[in-house]
This record gives sequence, C-alpha cells and structure tokens, in this order.
Amino acid sequence: MSREPSAAACAACPAHHVGNLVRLGVDMGEWDYVVGLAGNPNTGKSTVFNALTGLRQHTGNWPGKTVTRAEGGFAYSGSRYKLVDLPGTYSLLSSSPDEEVARDFILFGRPDVTVVVVDANRLERNLNLVLQVLEITDRAVVCLNLMDEARRHGLAVDERRLSRDLGVPVVPTAARYGQGLAELNRAIHEVATGAYVCRPRRVGGRAPALERAVRRLAGEVGRAFPGLPSTDWVALRLLDGDRRIAESITTGELGTLSRDATVEPGPALARAVPAGAADLLAEASALRWQVGPDFHQTLVEAVYTEAASLADRAVTRAGERPRFDFDRTLDRLVTSRRFGIPLMVAMLAVVFWITIAGANVPSQLLSRLLIDDLHSWLGRAAAAIGAPWWLSGFLVDGVYLATAWVVSVMLPPMAIFFPLFTLLEDFGYLPRVAFNLDGMFRRAGAHGKQALTMAMGFGCNAAGVVATRIVESPRERLIAIITNNFSLCNGRWPTQILIASIFVGALAPAYLAGAISALAVVAITVLGVVLTFATSFVLSRTVLRGEASAFSLELPPYRPPRVLQTLYTSVIDRTLFVLWRAVVFAMPAGAVIWLMANVHVADRSLAEHAVAALDPVGALLGLSGVILLAYVIAIPANEIVIPTVLMLTVLSAGMGGVGRGTGVLFELDSASETAAVLRAGGWTLLTGVNLMLFSLVHNPCSTTIYTIWKETRSAKWTAFAALLPLGLGIAICFLVAQVWRLLA
Amino acid sequence: MIDPGTALAAAAAAALLAAVLLWPDRGVVWRVSRSFRAGDRVAIEDALKHLYDGEARDVPATLHSLAGALGVSGDRAASFVERLERLDLVERADAGTYRLTPQGRSDALRVVRIHRLWERYLSEETGLDPAEWHREAERREHRTTDAQADALAARLGHPRFDPHGDPIPTAGGEIPPPPGVPLTELPVGRVAEIVHVEDEPSAVYAQLLAEGLHPGMLLRVSESDRRRVRFEADAEEHVLAPVVAANLSVSPLAEDAPMPGPFERLSGLDPGESARVVALSPACRGLERRRLLDLGIVPGTLVAAELRSAGGGPTAYRIRGALIALRREQADLVQVERGSEEAGA
Repeated sequence: MSREPSAAACAACPAHHVGNLVRLGVDMGEWDYVVGLAGNPNTGKSTVFNALTGLRQHTGNWPGKTVTRAEGGFAYSGSRYKLVDLPGTYSLLSSSPDEEVARDFILFGRPDVTVVVVDANRLERNLNLVLQVLEITDRAVVCLNLMDEARRHGLAVDERRLSRDLGVPVVPTAARYGQGLAELNRAIHEVATGAYVCRPRRVGGRAPALERAVRRLAGEVGRAFPGLPSTDWVALRLLDGDRRIAESITTGELGTLSRDATVEPGPALARAVPAGAADLLAEASALRWQVGPDFHQTLVEAVYTEAASLADRAVTRAGERPRFDFDRTLDRLVTSRRFGIPLMVAMLAVVFWITIAGANVPSQLLSRLLIDDLHSWLGRAAAAIGAPWWLSGFLVDGVYLATAWVVSVMLPPMAIFFPLFTLLEDFGYLPRVAFNLDGMFRRAGAHGKQALTMAMGFGCNAAGVVATRIVESPRERLIAIITNNFSLCNGRWPTQILIASIFVGALAPAYLAGAISALAVVAITVLGVVLTFATSFVLSRTVLRGEASAFSLELPPYRPPRVLQTLYTSVIDRTLFVLWRAVVFAMPAGAVIWLMANVHVADRSLAEHAVAALDPVGALLGLSGVILLAYVIAIPANEIVIPTVLMLTVLSAGMGGVGRGTGVLFELDSASETAAVLRAGGWTLLTGVNLMLFSLVHNPCSTTIYTIWKETRSAKWTAFAALLPLGLGIAICFLVAQVWRLLA
Repeated sequence: MIDPGTALAAAAAAALLAAVLLWPDRGVVWRVSRSFRAGDRVAIEDALKHLYDGEARDVPATLHSLAGALGVSGDRAASFVERLERLDLVERADAGTYRLTPQGRSDALRVVRIHRLWERYLSEETGLDPAEWHREAERREHRTTDAQADALAARLGHPRFDPHGDPIPTAGGEIPPPPGVPLTELPVGRVAEIVHVEDEPSAVYAQLLAEGLHPGMLLRVSESDRRRVRFEADAEEHVLAPVVAANLSVSPLAEDAPMPGPFERLSGLDPGESARVVALSPACRGLERRRLLDLGIVPGTLVAAELRSAGGGPTAYRIRGALIALRREQADLVQVERGSEEAGA
C-alpha cells in the first residue's frame, strides 16, 4: 500500500479496511476507493453495475462461499473506484448465505461508499434494506432505479425529500437507458471523498425496556472496543442472538473496525481479544431474557413500519384517475354476484371452443405432413440408401414416428390455447377468476389460483405444473401440483372422444349418439374436477397438513394486452418449452415401442409376452393386457396411447392387413374401422368405460413427472404425485369392473 | 375369470390388512418400529420432563403422577424410578415425592430445550395447527441429537421463548424462572400482557385456543372470583373458569397503564370503508405474518375495502396502491382503527 492514513481525522482519506477486504477476497492494490453495490433482487442492480463499470469487470466466488460475485472498476474525477457487486437480498437481518456475504462486506470491509439500488416502484419494500444498511454504515448513496417504469405507472418520487429523510444522497436513475448515471458517479465521489457528509437515519421508536437494554449493552461494547462505530447496532445484533457478531467479539475481529485501529492487516495487534469479551457476551445473554419473546419480530416490524412511512412521504401517485375508475367499474362487474360467475364460464367456454375448433385444421395438416407424407418419404429414403430393415424400422418407424405423432397432436391446440390464456392473464382478468373462485377452493384447503393452473392443465399438465409457480403458498402449491393430473389434458381429449363415440354413443339411437358421447366426455371431465377437489381436501388435512401456508392474491390493474409480446412469450415459454420436453421423452419411447414389437424371444415378440403376462391383471381391472402395456410404454405422452393400443391389438390378435406394419403406430380414418379392430381385440362396453376412467385417473405422463420433479426438487413429492393417481385409477377401475360383472 | 364377489372380498380384506398394518401412528408397523427405536430413551426422557415440570410448577412428582404421565401401571413406575435412582438422575424427597439430581436436571433441561425449539419451529415454519405443536414436538424431541438441536436453534435465530411463552433453556442449561403470574391473581382493573399459555392438559389448551388467546395479547380483568374470571382482550369479552384461567400467565403493566383500543378487525370493513392498521394479532405467526408485512400491512397503513368476491370468498383491499385479496381469517388477524378523516376515502 502506498498510503498510510493516520488515525487523525482526514476527511478525504479512504475509510475502507484493507486488511479485512483482503480476507474478503478484494485486492485494493491499484484502487483508491471501494464501493459496495447492494440492493433487492430485481431492482436492475446488475444493469447499474454494468452501466458503471462497462467492460472492466470479472466474476468469481466469495471466499469459502458458493455465492458468486462480480467486481469491476471505474474512474471518476481522477480517482480509481473498485465496484463490488453484493448479492441481491431483501434484508440483512436473517442468515441466508447471501445476506451474510452482503452484511460481512459492509460491516468488516467497511467500503468507502455503499450504493443501495432500489426499485422506485416498490419503494416501501426496498427501503427496508436501505434502513438496515444505514444501521451499519454511515457512507451510503441510494440509487433510485427504474424511474422510467415509475413515471409510466404515474408515480412521482420526491427524491429531495427522501434524501433529507434518509440523510444520504438519493439519485434517480433509469440505468437501462443510461439516465442519471453521471449524477450517481458524482454522488459516490462526494461521499467517498467526504465532500458530502452523511447523517443517516436510524430506526427509532424502541420500547423503553429494549432501549434500556440497548443502552446498557452498547456501553459495554464501547468499553470493550473503544472507538467502534455503531455500537448500538452491535448491541441490537447481540440481543437478537446473532452468532456471527458474537463470534467476531470472541475472536477480536470486531476490534479491527475501531476508528483508531490500524488500517494495515497487522497479524496480532488488531486482533487482540479484549479482556471484557466473555463478560460482554454473558451480559448480552442475560439481557436477552428481558427483551421479550417477540423481540426479533418487533425489530423487523419497526423497520417495515419506518420504511413504509418514509415511502408514503416521498411517493405521490397521480395521473391514473381515469384508468382507475375504469378498473373499478370493471372489477365491480366481473366480481358481482350476479354476473361474475356466468361471465367467467362464458369466457372460458369461448377459449376452449376457439382452441378445439381452431386446432382441427392445422392438426390434420400436420398429421398428413409429418405422419403420412414425411414418414413414408423417410421410409423410402432409408430403403434407397440401403439401410437394413431393422435400422430404418428403429429410426423411422420407432423414434421418428412417435416424435412426429406427439408434435402433430400436441402443437396446434397448445399454440392456440396458451396465447389465448396468456392474453387473459396479461389483461388482468385471470386473477379475478381466482378471486371469485377462492371461496370454493378454500373449503377444499386449496388456493383460488389453482383454478388457473387447472385450466392450464386442460391444455397440458406439464404446463399446468409450471403454472403453479403463481401459487406462492407452499402447501397450496403442492396441492395444485399433485392434483393437476386430474385436469383432462389436450393429449387425452381425443382418446375420450373416440372411445365415447365407439362404445357409449353406440348405445343410443343414431340421432342421439353424438350428444350422448359428448355427455360421457363431459361426465369424465367433471369427475376429474370432483377428484381434484376431493383430493385437495384430503391432502390438505392429512399428508400436507404440516406444510406452511399463507394466502395472498394481488389483483393487478387492468392493462391493454400486449398481443405481440404475449404471442412471443407464450409460444416460446410455454408451447415450445413443453413441446421440447415431450419430444425428448417421445423419442426413446418410440424406440422402445418398436423394439417391443420387433424383438422376438422364443417365437413371440416381447410385446406379446408382456401382453400375455399383463392380461390377468387387465381382466381384473376391466381393461386388458394390451391397454396396460400401452400405458406403460407410451408413458411419455398420452397422445400416442391409442395408436399404441391399435398397433398392439393388431399384433397380439394376429390381424393381417390392418395397420402399417409391426411396431408402427397408426390410426384408422373412421371410428367404425377402429371399433371393428377393438371389438376383434375383445373389447366390450366395460373396457371402453374403464379405459375412459383410466385415461383420466392414472399416472401423469413422463413429461409431467419430470416437470414436477423440476418444480418441487423433491423425489418424495414427485413419486407421490405419480403414484397417487395411479393407485386411485387402479382402485376405481377394479371396483367398476367387479361391480359391473356382479350386476351384469 | 375370477368371480367378482370373491375379487371384491379379497380386495376389501387386503385394504383392511394394509390399514391395520400401515395406518399412520396407530398401525402395527409404526408401533413395532417405534418400540424398537424408542426403547428406554423415550421413557427416561419423558420421566425427566415430568419431574422437571413438577418442580417448575411447585407440584413435586409422585409415583402416581409419574405412572400417569408415562401411561404405565404403578408397579412399573416404581421399578422404573428405581432404575432412575441407580442412574443417579432422580432422588427421593420427602413425603413420597421425587426430585431431580443435578445430573437429572441437566438431562431434563436438554429435553425441554429440544421440545421447545421444535414447538417454536413448528409454529414459525409449518402450517400445523397450534393444537398439534405439542404432540408433534413430543414425537420429534426423542430423535433429535444435540447437534441437530443447535442447528435448529441457529436456523430459528436462537430464540429465547417457545410459542406458548415458555423460556427455552440455552445449550448451557441456563433458564430463567417461568414468566408472569397466573391470571387468577391479577387484580381487577389492571391491564396485563399474556406472557404464557400453558399447553397441557390439551383439553384446557384447546379451550384457550378456541377463545383466541395468545402470548402478546393485552387484557383487563373485570371480575375475578372463585366461580369465574371475566376479562376483555382483543375487543372481546372472555369468561373462563378459574382452573382454566390459571393456565394463562400474565405480566401486569404499570399501575396506570390504559387499555389500548378497543380495535376493530379488518374483516369488519364493508366495501367502500377504510381504516388504519394498528397491529397484527400475535396469533399471526411465521410465513403468514411475513406475507402480510410484505404486502405492506404495517401499523399506520391506510386500508380500504373495495370488492367482495362473487363466490362469497375473499375481500379485496386497496393497500398502498395495490389491490390485494385477503381471506376472512386473515383479515381477522389485522387490527384496525377507523379515523374520522378517512370517512369515505
């Protein structure tokens, strides 16, 4: 180090603590000042960091921690500044690794300036962190970021008032557009050089008993560590049972922060353990009994309250009046007792109708293109280049065909349903649906937002499971995830409709057949909803009883839907995301299906062996070995269950001339042809009904199972979500089959 | 084809068997595994806790009370106490009572610490009902090592009190005397804070819970005699039998301290009305409390009721510019005060 700042007050000298900074992994070799960058997550902190440092930055980890950190530098007015990006945190009070890193840096590194980036739109929540930073350090600058958004939302922030209240500079910025950065640089410089002397606000309003305890302990701390700044804060932390601070007292580390301690990392002299350390901790421990049971709570709430009152004084909301009245009128309508529910039903009916009607044509087109034309073209191409039959069968009939099938059935409805749904979401209508239905869901122990994840599940269960992220309450979110499978997904609708028209519709006279089979499908869907509520009810009172739960539902202001952006995000985030996962799972399944049908052991294919083995179980459940095997090997997607069933039926019944070859998935053009194949395979009305039931109540497809694991990160809950509906489905099918036979 | 009647009967039998074997807590498998795992440790720890409780309450333990606490016969309790004496954990006091030796007391404090830490954890980090905290903590305390207990304490921020207001012994075995005086001893008219709600016996605790009484609440007694204790707390009048009231400990405030309030609850606001938040009820804990704070429901915040759900569900309130829906049981936890200046805001 080139400089030796003396203990004598030198206002312009850097205040940072070189020794501790080195231990924190910050080398101050070529820098004059060090600046810490703190802030809540999602405040544009990294944008500010990038804007200030440009390309002069590098990333690494904090010593001994898995927390990443970025460092950079900039020069201003002849001084060289090192900028250290601290982890984004909401507070410095609790003890996550992120919060510990940020606090240790501010406390022990003693940066010359701490810049706190706050979101001007959520000032009261962000000021919590500012107030906590100001408890530790005197030298801070508040960067009031995202001012552009705030202006758009009609918020005006009086930064001069805020600066006066906080006692530190407040600089409005819109870092994304580079606005306000020059002012930010200047403020940092002024605080670092001492040109601006901060007089930070400290949270007051402590109860008398607490104030006495703090006074007494702070006095002790001051005696043990003469010259230590913020003894009050240290006393409060000790009263709050903060292990880290207690440790820093026993090791003497706290002493390195005294104003008159040497700045150099002297090995012994700065770390001498003060004589009174043990007494001090004993005193703190004794005082902790007196500050009351909810002391920590009180501290947190005092900060919240102070932050809220500061924000109230600084922020004015204006310019939203006309919109606001419109919102209010609309809200009264969509939540009114008379119109609320009918309006919602109508809206959802329209969405489903558009999806079903609109998906028809592109589905057929894709199916003709991918399954009929491209598949046979690939087959011919494989033959032309002389590929052996097993290779072309494996790749073209197995892997390719299953994948193509999944894509052509899945893509069109999802590409229509998800954007429509996202538009309603973006407009702000869907939270009102959750609001209207919450009473019903509450009685089942679930969250109103589950209505939305269920609706999403009708499109695709994997997407429904991802959508449960909107349910912030852990218990209710697990319920929504586990029960999502009872929403009859897009991949199962065609199965239901086909089987209903073949077996149920056939019971009625021809002119009623359509209506009756539609009714059967509706009945299955309603059964799914009933099961959702019943399962939610039971789960919330048994296995999930202990999970934490807290309801909250924000009804955001309505806003004109951003059509293009919605299209883009719903296609990328939802449709392609889900489709990609499905494809990844469908490819190996295609291979397995083809191999099962084509690998022979002792004269019979693996598939035939498996069907024979599963037949007794199938009979017990009122299904068949073919159906059970199809559900096992077609687990990646419900879309390919019927083609697999048809292929296996033809294979195991030895029907020649139907289908497209051994192990090749197919569908027949008319329901009557399909019916003929199925009846030849031994299907009865009971088989049809039970297949419809089992299609609703069985394990989720592997895409969904994988998604559940991704979302919960818990093998236990993933297994539970997969096995619960499977067990339930087996039980239901078994009961229906036996009772049916008993009565027949 | 198996005969359907037979199949149904077989399935019913299988289901019954599975239930008998695997029913949570009461199934055979659970009982067997518990008796294997638990063995002596549970009985010894429960006995020590019983003696500790007795000493803390000045009701020394007898063979009879111990047999009751452990759920065993008097003879078995007697032979068990002999073992405890041999282990130098318990010693005979006068008149057929027993007390803890220093070693026994330190072991007992260890279990008490783990028990209260678990109760604190369950109240803060899970959604379990208060009535279940005690039983669940009893279950967990016997399986917890000291290292786990320390980790738990660190995670909870080294709390000093459990959710009932009982002090949690430190790892070093340091513990102050139980706080407060029984409610039955509080003079009429004096304002006091509830500092402890005894959670045993569970029937009495259930009654106190049903009355909505929690540590941290202020109360004032208006009538107290041998037949009943009548007091107001949280804007409601409560009447308890003295035996029940004695399970509440209170810490009297200064002689002339006024009773704040009475405050209304947020749930009492109709759409179009508004009020200022005074406090969150002490009954609101853990995630629920953090969530309400995050939404900006802190003392001084102006809250206006705006919409009721079409399904008769939650009510939407305007809070700091945002429209937030809260369920009735949540709005019950927020104490508010209507000010004249807010009329029609």
